[in-house]
Amino acid sequence: MVSPVLKLSPMFAVPVLQTRMEGCERLNSELEALFLERESPEYRNPTPSHHPQAETFESRFNLFRWPEPCVQALRQFMLDAVGRAVIQTSTVTPEELSRLRFQNHTWFHITRYAGSFVAHNHPLASWSAVYCVRAGQAVPEHPQSGLLRFFDPRHGAQAYLDPANAQLQAPFALRPLEYRLEAGDLVIFPSYLFHEVAPFYGADVRITVASNCWFA
Amino acid sequence: MSSASLSVVPIFATPLAVAELPASLQANQAVAQLLMEYAAANPVAAAASDPLCYRSRDDLLEWNDALVHQTCGEILRGVWSTVAAVNSFTPEQLKSLSMQARGSFAIVQPNGSIPATSHSLTSWCGIYCVEAPQPAAERSDSGVVRLYESRLTTMFADATNSVMRVPFTAGHYSWRAVPGQLAVFPGSLTHEIPLIRAAGRLTLISVRARFVGPGQEGWSRW
Repeated sequence: MVSPVLKLSPMFAVPVLQTRMEGCERLNSELEALFLERESPEYRNPTPSHHPQAETFESRFNLFRWPEPCVQALRQFMLDAVGRAVIQTSTVTPEELSRLRFQNHTWFHITRYAGSFVAHNHPLASWSAVYCVRAGQAVPEHPQSGLLRFFDPRHGAQAYLDPANAQLQAPFALRPLEYRLEAGDLVIFPSYLFHEVAPFYGADVRITVASNCWFA
Repeated sequence: MSSASLSVVPIFATPLAVAELPASLQANQAVAQLLMEYAAANPVAAAASDPLCYRSRDDLLEWNDALVHQTCGEILRGVWSTVAAVNSFTPEQLKSLSMQARGSFAIVQPNGSIPATSHSLTSWCGIYCVEAPQPAAERSDSGVVRLYESRLTTMFADATNSVMRVPFTAGHYSWRAVPGQLAVFPGSLTHEIPLIRAAGRLTLISVRARFVGPGQEGWSRW
């Protein structure tokens, strides 16, 4: 076989960014206590976009307007990371970004045994982010418990599989991308990307904060 | 608002065929028992095991049991009928096709689910309901097969395009599994079984099928 230089390019790629808040234990502990205290009708999202589940509490979307220091510290961390994601993945400069109006809807989820969230995306937003406050128990007999799963947007790409395309390596692999979030993990992704939370089988709670961001 | 005659046409539509299989319905109880016994006697390898969901190998169409054979035969006839209904084949053309198919079954217990999947090298997927749990009042998707949105829908949503009627609705479609009913849809369509949140099992037989026309080379055997 002739071996010419081969340039391999990931086309139509989807940017997913991961980072982690170091030393997050105290902050997460304060957030968890606050969220559990406010897991009540007063703070529940009154207009959920999907059929609500008794096992999953979804707050109103105004979380980052709460004045509590732990919430504001998380706001700073998450939105700063989203801003960095924009700069890393686009031609927007830091100066240009600083002149944009940065808006968000942010909420928290508390998920208990058998809770999940159906595959969805977020219209009218450009970037979405999920921060893990508490991962919840790992359940060995349910390895997919609580996974954050992103669906491959290349619809139909796996319709014809043979030995030459069935085992493609990342980032070309034809399969969903799954994240097992740990407390302190932050994942940022384009809002158009469909994602779900697999059923959670822990005996405790899984707590996450999600944010949709848009700029003008 | 104009009062002119307006023709609204569903374009780029995905076919979903639902059929009642009365003969299979009568055999459901016996088939369910048979499948349960098989599952108990043939546990899935530990690495792929899910205590709340049993998924068989895809050799169901090769079983010799008469009741399973009869049920699978009806399911395959339902797939044939779907192919006939959505294509423009003449009876002769239809007869000239040969079907290749694989079959399997799944038993989903309360609190169990099956993650989203689609089938490669498959043109049509048929799912037949052997037994189903009662609907759960507090969890509307318990006991359904969820068919994923497959259109490249807009990320721009406003007060008018986010509340359109079926079949224009943007979002997933749920088929509530009813014993004795068969649903047939394209094999490329991603689908899942959401978590069962009610008493009773959901037992489903699935077939995936593809067709080879005269003179076509076809594919190697599944």
